[in-house]
Amino acid sequence: MKLSRFLLLIICVYSYQFAVAQNKTPVKFGVVSAKDFETKVYSLDSNASAVIIADVGSCTIEGNLKGWFSAVNKHYRRIHILNKNGYDLANVSINLYSNGADEERLEKLKAVTYNLVNGKVVETKLDTKSSVFEDKIDKKRTVKKFTFPNIKEGSIIEYEYSTISDFINSPDTWAFQGSYPRLWSEFTFNAPEFFNYTFLTQGYLAYTVKETNVVQDVFTVSDLSTASASKHASFIAYVNVFRWAIKDVPALKEESFTTSIDNHIQKIAFELVERKSPLTNYTYIDSWPKVAQQMMDYDKFGSMVQRDNGWLKEIIQPLISAGDDQEVKAKKIYAWVRDNFTCTDKHRLLMDQNLKNLVKSRNGTDAEINLLLTAMLRYVDITADPVILSTRDNGFAYSNFPIMSQYNYVICRAVVNGNDVLLDATEPLMGYGQLPLRCYNGYARAMNTGADLINLYADRITETKNTLVFIINDESGKYTGSLQQTSGVYGSMDIREKIKSKGMESFQKDIKQAMGSDMSIYNFGIDSLNNYNAPIDMHYEFDMENNGEDIIYLSPLFGEAYKENPFKAAERRYPVEMPYCMDEIISVQLEVPRGYVVDELPKSMVLKLNEDGDGIFDYRVSQAGENISLQCRIQLKRANFAAEEYQLLREFFTQVVKKEGEQMVFKKKK
Amino acid sequence: MQKLSLLIFWMAFSCQAFAGDDIYSVATIPAALLKDASVVKRMELVRFEISLTNEASLTYKVAYTILNEQGDRWALFQVGYDKLRTVSTFTGTLYDASGKKLKSLKKSDIKDESGMDDVSLADDNRVKWHDFFYKGYPYTVEYEMVMNYKGTMFLPSWTPQEIYNMSVQHSLLQVVCPASNPLHYKTFMYNPPPVITADKGNKIYQWEVKDLQTKESEFASPAWYKLTPSVFLTTERFTLENYQGSNASWRDFGKFVYDLKANRDALPADVKQKVHDLTAGLKTNMEKITVLYKYLQQHTRYISIQLGVGGWRPFDAKFVVEKKYGDCKALTNFMYALLKEAGISSLYTVIRAGEDKDYLIKELPGPQFNHVILMVPNGKDTVWLECTSQTLAAGYLSNFTADRLALAVDEAGGKLVHTPKYDYKENLQVRKIKASINQEGTLDATITTDYQAEQQDRIHQLINGLSKDKLMEFLKEDIDLPTYDIRHFNYVEIKSELPVVQEQLELDASNYAISSGKRLFILPNIISRSQRVLNEMKERKYDIELGMAYTDIDTSSITIPDGYTMEAIPAEVDLHTKFGNYQARVKLEGNTISYIRHFECFTGTFPAADYEALRQFYDKVYKADRSKVVLVKNQ
Repeated sequence: MKLSRFLLLIICVYSYQFAVAQNKTPVKFGVVSAKDFETKVYSLDSNASAVIIADVGSCTIEGNLKGWFSAVNKHYRRIHILNKNGYDLANVSINLYSNGADEERLEKLKAVTYNLVNGKVVETKLDTKSSVFEDKIDKKRTVKKFTFPNIKEGSIIEYEYSTISDFINSPDTWAFQGSYPRLWSEFTFNAPEFFNYTFLTQGYLAYTVKETNVVQDVFTVSDLSTASASKHASFIAYVNVFRWAIKDVPALKEESFTTSIDNHIQKIAFELVERKSPLTNYTYIDSWPKVAQQMMDYDKFGSMVQRDNGWLKEIIQPLISAGDDQEVKAKKIYAWVRDNFTCTDKHRLLMDQNLKNLVKSRNGTDAEINLLLTAMLRYVDITADPVILSTRDNGFAYSNFPIMSQYNYVICRAVVNGNDVLLDATEPLMGYGQLPLRCYNGYARAMNTGADLINLYADRITETKNTLVFIINDESGKYTGSLQQTSGVYGSMDIREKIKSKGMESFQKDIKQAMGSDMSIYNFGIDSLNNYNAPIDMHYEFDMENNGEDIIYLSPLFGEAYKENPFKAAERRYPVEMPYCMDEIISVQLEVPRGYVVDELPKSMVLKLNEDGDGIFDYRVSQAGENISLQCRIQLKRANFAAEEYQLLREFFTQVVKKEGEQMVFKKKK
Repeated sequence: MQKLSLLIFWMAFSCQAFAGDDIYSVATIPAALLKDASVVKRMELVRFEISLTNEASLTYKVAYTILNEQGDRWALFQVGYDKLRTVSTFTGTLYDASGKKLKSLKKSDIKDESGMDDVSLADDNRVKWHDFFYKGYPYTVEYEMVMNYKGTMFLPSWTPQEIYNMSVQHSLLQVVCPASNPLHYKTFMYNPPPVITADKGNKIYQWEVKDLQTKESEFASPAWYKLTPSVFLTTERFTLENYQGSNASWRDFGKFVYDLKANRDALPADVKQKVHDLTAGLKTNMEKITVLYKYLQQHTRYISIQLGVGGWRPFDAKFVVEKKYGDCKALTNFMYALLKEAGISSLYTVIRAGEDKDYLIKELPGPQFNHVILMVPNGKDTVWLECTSQTLAAGYLSNFTADRLALAVDEAGGKLVHTPKYDYKENLQVRKIKASINQEGTLDATITTDYQAEQQDRIHQLINGLSKDKLMEFLKEDIDLPTYDIRHFNYVEIKSELPVVQEQLELDASNYAISSGKRLFILPNIISRSQRVLNEMKERKYDIELGMAYTDIDTSSITIPDGYTMEAIPAEVDLHTKFGNYQARVKLEGNTISYIRHFECFTGTFPAADYEALRQFYDKVYKADRSKVVLVKNQ
């Protein structure tokens, strides 16, 4: 209760901050004049192939005929197409969702193309009867598609439609920004006083308009679904009219090393917090512990996990031996779930089938698979709770408020022999206690009594790689070597993935190809290929080509050197979000080739990314008689860097690439 | 009586399938079929039955034993359907290694989803699919399916071995066809004639394979269907909705294609007038074609709508005039109409676009096409027009449709024609670099490159598809240099039947020259390094088919900092092979490294025995492209 009052307070504060500026929507449907075609290049973005002149949306909560309320979303957009590359904006898709009971439907679509012909504006209307196509993606999803007729370079197009949605708890998010520039983007939210919504805003731009008004409206709710006399209610209530607009919104640009562009886009989302008089009072967003309790009682989430689940006996009994301690049990159960189920959807918070059906079908969502894992661990008396999170591609979730629409993934936290272990059984090649990278996206929440906060920032994980190379003059006079490489969690998973999907032979071929034809590779081996709890250890031997040249130039790091700067782009707009911290060590021990003397070796160096040493490059060379030793280590101790730190990172890797490209030079003895 | 034969046929099926619980036991797979296999096709029965009324049914049954993860995709069974083909039966069963039945799929397990491709605004493709998602290897899945065809234009083909790591225990194809409507077929890697039996006015054709072992995948091998037993089918007469056609000859099939588009070329008066306005005063046909093609490009765009017969019949010219869009058929037909109005005759030409230039099975007239272009005879020459592009030069076909057979149609029917081939002399990349390297090793380069014909296809797409700032972003990440920045770029397109894109880049690359103590290592080949490396193979089995032919010519001069003496310089390389020629020469004169590279790659089919020679050729080129000049600082 306290929390919801707090939220309300935020909203009120917001309301008072709204200015009363009279910034009106600059365009109106159907009002297009020859003057509108004059601009050929917009100063907002002189390279744009199309400019969105106005993007105007609204959401209005209205009574419906199903005994409740619907969200009426209106969308109006006008676009000026400047050249052919902007034609894709003339193809419009509208996604509609239905879960059987609740649905979204499309209404009042109109679309018009305007062209300037001999100084006059000529209109071509879309024939909405014959030229709007429907694609039923599956049972739940439908896409309505159309394209504008009569498109030319310079055309102005506009369209308008409404979708009526039964999903009022999380109305559609409004994105002020997209891949094309917008001269004006505006959203109005008409929220009746009996529904209290919270606003979640994100982005770096300032609002041009931010205002609120209060009006009165009549609400009529009917229930035609009951066979008996239909219920009918009508009442007057105040409506808060919130309006936001931003002028001159630049196009969004994607960059590498970004977890999700969704984390940077200028947008506003809405969540229903509570309902009030004249409706019965109800709180939708409660405190985290309360939400955790509700989730655990919910039949699409935790209710089955909380039961005795005697039916699990026949699965678990053959897996477990009498003397197994908690860890052995947990490992066996984890491996069984991982090895027997295929995860077909990795973006689900709730279950679509119950756990018994999951066991029958052998395929399910992350939620189903990890809730089964949780139930099985509980069955053998290991404390286990589901943990919910938002995956990287889904953007960050606000950790303070339980806004469930932001969460899209379930893992499991078990307490095994007194230690917390996080488990995800959806990845067939993942080891016990490891999580896929998609899970490292800020804070997660355990669905237990305390709704524990779990830190899953990428800065917490470090990917290691250790490479050991020996090169000697063997007895037969060949210059020959061996390489051993131990990969980290994710490197090991990549290797397993490659070998499983393409076969060991093809994996070896790729390695040989990468080493080039100067080296012949043999005695290739991989350890721990099927023991997912251990890192992959790859090793092989090789002979180096030697044609008796006067001078040998040797790249001592072979294929392990960075040949390219991973930070290619010269500029950066958004923070750099790497998948993990890194620690890579290459150590080379080599003998001077027989019959040669050292002419020159690379010099040792230590390079720091910044004063704090968040990145360290340590390159050390030493020589003792015929033996040369090289130790090269790159560490990045943070995964997240500010956009301002980008140049440091780029320069750091410039130096790494340069140093690692240096060669050892040997001269033939005279 | 036809029904009776079907019943007997099905009883034969049943006996085989349910003779014992263990027919799918893994133990009964011959050892030879397990070698290098991820999946074994245990049995496959394909029965395609064509009625006198040109309706047809496909009865299909297959069982795969999946041995490991790489075979998992065969546990997924999917059937595409549309307005002309419906699925009436879809069942599946899962067996364990011993052949014991584990479960059968329920109707509700079958997914039914849109099969629409990404480019279309509308089509009627849908997919039914199911996957057992089982992981207890080895396991066996069995699927049965019945499909009903309205019309017989598209017949199934039969390639029992579907991928190189699949072996096949047994597969049978039966086609029942009215004797009055002969079946045409073409087989590959299958020598004996089919077993043909007569049954009450029908002919039953049968092909069968047993015990096919896995194959090895090889670089640049011929199309899969040429390496393993395959049968392709058509019937002499067929229907598509209410349209009847004949596959008796290319002429006949072409006539069918033509009739679908005939009389759909009427232009409104204002467009007719426009054609006359545009072409008035132009002397040659080529000038008129160029002007009208430009008009098409400026006034239309590509939008794909494929519904029912609309997959083969174009929207008429009036539709394109009104909507200003169309698919390949509609736009080609519209261009045909524009030319016709200008008094130039042209031929609507169906073709298979994409990678496989050698797609056409000549001996089997029928619907082997997926695209339409326009052929305009012009005296001795022929002008080819790709009508879906808003940017291509008139008369140029990109590698999307170049160098392959196609079927040109007119009122007399169809005839096979060959689209232009761009050889190594046309597909040029001529690059000149003027560069200097400073004391820090930073390279400062001005690079001008002329790309011609197929070598310009990619860059043409880029410069026409990206805005200037997006192009800059792209260039800043596209070039194979360690750390660099583009200062300036410019493109000029010279549109002709052999189009050229002239590129100018100014860039600097830090640490391009690697200074290692007193030495400076410089790679004279700055951005034209071949990436091709082949693995050694003990025994190459198949012919080698080398695709696009081209020539790359590089001339660079690189100024080096003062105070260095040469220690090593790459030796001159001069290779002459049947696959191509390569010359590279590096010289240091004063403070300037001059580099010349001439690389010709030929197209063609070469015997498997040539593989090692090809590998060595690529390898020598790869190494030569990476050999460095070594300089030592004067003491």
